[in-house]
Amino acid sequence: MDEYSPKIICFKCNFGWGYLDDKKEINAVMKSTVPVTCSGKVDSTHILTALKEGADGVLVLGCSQGECHFQDGNYQTGKKILLIKKVLTSFGIEPERVRMVFSVDPDGIKVPLEIEEMRNEISSLGPINIGKCAMAS
Amino acid sequence: MWKTECGGRTRVEQAVKQFLPPCQVQCPINEDIQRTNVLISMLPEDPNTAQEGVQQIGDYLYERNPLFTVCGYVCGLCELECNYSSQGGAIRRRLLKRFISDTYTYNLDEKEEFNIVKNKENVAVIGGGPAGLMCAFDLSKRGYRVTVYEATARLGGALWLIPQYRLPEKVLTSALENLVRIAGIDVKYNTRIGDGKLTLDKLKNEGYKAIFMCRGTPTPRVLTFGKEQLEGQDLSGVMYGHDFLYEVSHGNIKSDYFRGHKVVVIGGGNVAFDVARTARRLGAEVSVACLESENKSSRDGIPADHEEIKGAWEEGIQIHYSRGVKKIHGESGIFQKIECPLCTRVFDDAGFNPKFDPDDTMFIDGDVLIITVGQGPDKSALQKEGLLDEKGRLAVDPLTLQSKTKEWIFLGGDVRKIGFMVEAMRDGLYAAESIERYMRGLDMHEGRTRAYEAQEIPRSRHYKHEPDIVWIPPEKRMHFQLFERGFTLKEAREEAKRCLTCGPCISCKACISIGLQDELPTVTVHEERCSGCGICTSICYYGSAQMKHVADNKVKSMTDMFQCKACGMCVVACPTLARELIGCNLEAKYSGAIAAL
Amino acid sequence: MVVKPKVAIYWLGGCGGCDEAIVDLNEAILHVANAVEIVLWPVAMDFKYSSIEKMNDNEITLSIIHGNVRNSEHAEMANLLRRKSQLVLSFGACANYGGTPALANFRSKSDIFNWVYRDSPTVVNPKGVFPQTISETNGKTLTLPEFYEHVYALNQVIDVDYYLPGCPPPPDLIVNAVSAVLSGKLPPKGTTLSPHMAMCDACERNKTKPFKLEIKEVKRIHEVDMDNETCFLAKGVICMGPATRSGCGNTCVSTNTPCRGCFGPVSHACDSGAKFLSAIASLLQADSDDQVEQVVDTVVDPAGYFYRFTQAASILHKFDENTNRRCP
Repeated sequence: MDEYSPKIICFKCNFGWGYLDDKKEINAVMKSTVPVTCSGKVDSTHILTALKEGADGVLVLGCSQGECHFQDGNYQTGKKILLIKKVLTSFGIEPERVRMVFSVDPDGIKVPLEIEEMRNEISSLGPINIGKCAMAS
Repeated sequence: MWKTECGGRTRVEQAVKQFLPPCQVQCPINEDIQRTNVLISMLPEDPNTAQEGVQQIGDYLYERNPLFTVCGYVCGLCELECNYSSQGGAIRRRLLKRFISDTYTYNLDEKEEFNIVKNKENVAVIGGGPAGLMCAFDLSKRGYRVTVYEATARLGGALWLIPQYRLPEKVLTSALENLVRIAGIDVKYNTRIGDGKLTLDKLKNEGYKAIFMCRGTPTPRVLTFGKEQLEGQDLSGVMYGHDFLYEVSHGNIKSDYFRGHKVVVIGGGNVAFDVARTARRLGAEVSVACLESENKSSRDGIPADHEEIKGAWEEGIQIHYSRGVKKIHGESGIFQKIECPLCTRVFDDAGFNPKFDPDDTMFIDGDVLIITVGQGPDKSALQKEGLLDEKGRLAVDPLTLQSKTKEWIFLGGDVRKIGFMVEAMRDGLYAAESIERYMRGLDMHEGRTRAYEAQEIPRSRHYKHEPDIVWIPPEKRMHFQLFERGFTLKEAREEAKRCLTCGPCISCKACISIGLQDELPTVTVHEERCSGCGICTSICYYGSAQMKHVADNKVKSMTDMFQCKACGMCVVACPTLARELIGCNLEAKYSGAIAAL
Repeated sequence: MVVKPKVAIYWLGGCGGCDEAIVDLNEAILHVANAVEIVLWPVAMDFKYSSIEKMNDNEITLSIIHGNVRNSEHAEMANLLRRKSQLVLSFGACANYGGTPALANFRSKSDIFNWVYRDSPTVVNPKGVFPQTISETNGKTLTLPEFYEHVYALNQVIDVDYYLPGCPPPPDLIVNAVSAVLSGKLPPKGTTLSPHMAMCDACERNKTKPFKLEIKEVKRIHEVDMDNETCFLAKGVICMGPATRSGCGNTCVSTNTPCRGCFGPVSHACDSGAKFLSAIASLLQADSDDQVEQVVDTVVDPAGYFYRFTQAASILHKFDENTNRRCP
């Protein structure tokens, strides 16, 4: 019996998460991780398209408040995600499926842990239902 | 642990439009302050793992500045221009350098020699101070065979004037000895040019094709009043600050040498305060008399750094401002007291022209008088070598540092213009470039003047205050150990992180050097999509996204690529996809991640 | 005798406003009427479906279809007209992106039916009669079109040649579009027949925007003292202008009403709602980090506002592979 394991797409800020990991081992393990130079580069279209294309959850790992290398990229994305959560609720999609963490983890060890934690938290929600409906011909 | 690369695409580029962060504009040798600040902020938290990173940063700084370990104790010019001063305090760059130095100095003995192939001409450097050493270092790297002629038994020049409570001896000796070893520079100690048969012409005959003269300012200025040299400067108990500090630096003075003595110091510059605080540490009761006034912001204000004055005051040194010295009183050949009228004005429109009020005179007594009113070059030696003009001034081109009387001689450092250590180093580097051009028959002036423009402070919602400098309490400072506490790793990382990276990306490239990005992305604007809504301008923290006027009273967005950090926020905020990041691999990685779902 | 091109004008799930817009061409409509042969226009003329069914494929030069696809009759007619037409013009916000009725996609069909036929306060339906596709009455079988689970934009059901945005499209754009068809001077297939820039390019208020625009609290239009020069965003009123295609003649913004996005996205932006979300998020400003959520909460009903006219074209829907999505 297959146990449902949510598929997570993770955006990871390079300036805050895993910059000491020179062998890039952690990146290699996680194929659905998108390293970005700042969490501020993550657009609403990236998040919504990820959900549309089958991700059950989207995780954004940004730097702690006040620690962004580009002044406030994390703050900008934080605001976007709050708005996206409200929009998702209207679409009938659970807002817990999109999440942002504000922290730093130079070694990158916590990255797979964060992804796993999110998996655990949203597994009870089941696979995403984004209104797939075929045309009745 | 990351490994910071220094070659190829990670090399900082000459800014085409000559923009730099203000700290780097101010630094006489344009050190890569921003890049190394970012690297320090990204060191690991664990001190053991961080050693490797500290060593890498040190190596990077050393390539262009082999005296950087000394800078971390005595410089800090960059901080005067730091943009952050307007928002909570300049970045404490000097302490960041000191943090690197504190580790790097102790590994310097193990640093490998450069092993450069020296197949170019012989060059002589007269004077082993910072100017000469930088020149020698740079020319050695370019392949010249350099010999330094040093008149005393040790390199370092005026750096030995700096008391050990500011610059530990170990840091200085390690920097000096290893510099000549690593660059393969030949040093002739105890060899004074001008003594007997050793002249510049003789050196030329021996095969030196060019000479850099940087002998500094060994001669202390004597005390004058009006235009007259003051009598009594030869009394017992009277000495000059420079001689005093050099003596102390040799380690020959006992630690309680001045116990029970009253020392009077004349002078208002940093050196005078070095003298006063040194005397204090040798047990004296010290007072300082200077011409200048207490108000540092006025033209007549005391030139010594605020930190020196504060430290002196804390250590119990009495300062008498606005006092000239009209007469030195002695009895039976022994110094007794000085007679000090009030100085009402130091400078007028013509220049240095002090004016006194004879009705307001005080007497300061003591048994030691240390005169520290400046120093000058050895003019007679320069005259003998034919390097002065008819007015007795040094005949040198201020841009190329080439002598105007003998084209194969170059002059720099304090002998040319009194300044800070790093300014002398700048002269050394400049002279090296001039010497290379001279040797290779290239144009001496082309491209030499670079007028850099300083970039402004980025906007931020989180400006933070500078950390306090910690000094040990004054009563515990009566020795020659450092009294200023340096940064711990944690403090260094935090302070370096506070740096706002004002300068353009191409003058930094720290992120590329440690592999966070493969290249610097650029932002392009598709003007046919831009409606001029201006949202990009509102969100840009670096003043890069701007609106420009086009025809018909319309505006369109544009990007100033020197201000742009390619952070991508304007691209995300643009409601019509008019802005695009080129050279960023986000979309490719994103597609890959989606495909892997 | 010149054979006049055949034109069909048909409404799917719409309000009739698009037909109004065509009628509003006034005198211009007589030129149109003389130049073409209208073969179907339910609001104005009495043609039957069967007459369309009898036609050959591609016999109709242009079918102007407005309204969204909500039920099976809409889908059937859309497909019929597609077969019989050379060109299909998707006319109006409902056909292009779903329009306002597409907001119904935020509810399920059963939610809607329960409300309309049972739970709404003014409903009196003691027997619980709900519409059925097939029902028996007095021994006769009655069929009704199937009410779909979803509102669809026209191009999610049939292949569309051109788009004319607006709610409704303004007269000048209509005339240009029809003239272009009749004269054969047509842009590439798939083009939206309206200027491609966003509203700020055409809006008089744009030049009063402050250098640094920030919104600390979102206000509704009646909560501010609005003049006719200041940019709405500068007053904290959400205006979808930056993300909305221009061409409407600024009817709303010149009468102190912020743009609500009826012209839909600009050419290459698929989801104007998502892009506008990013834009407005950038403008929201909290004085301190712990006030961020509070400030964001002043955007009441972001989904409803950002997708007011374009819900059916938003990213968060997955459609049949057969659909013709215009975005690259």
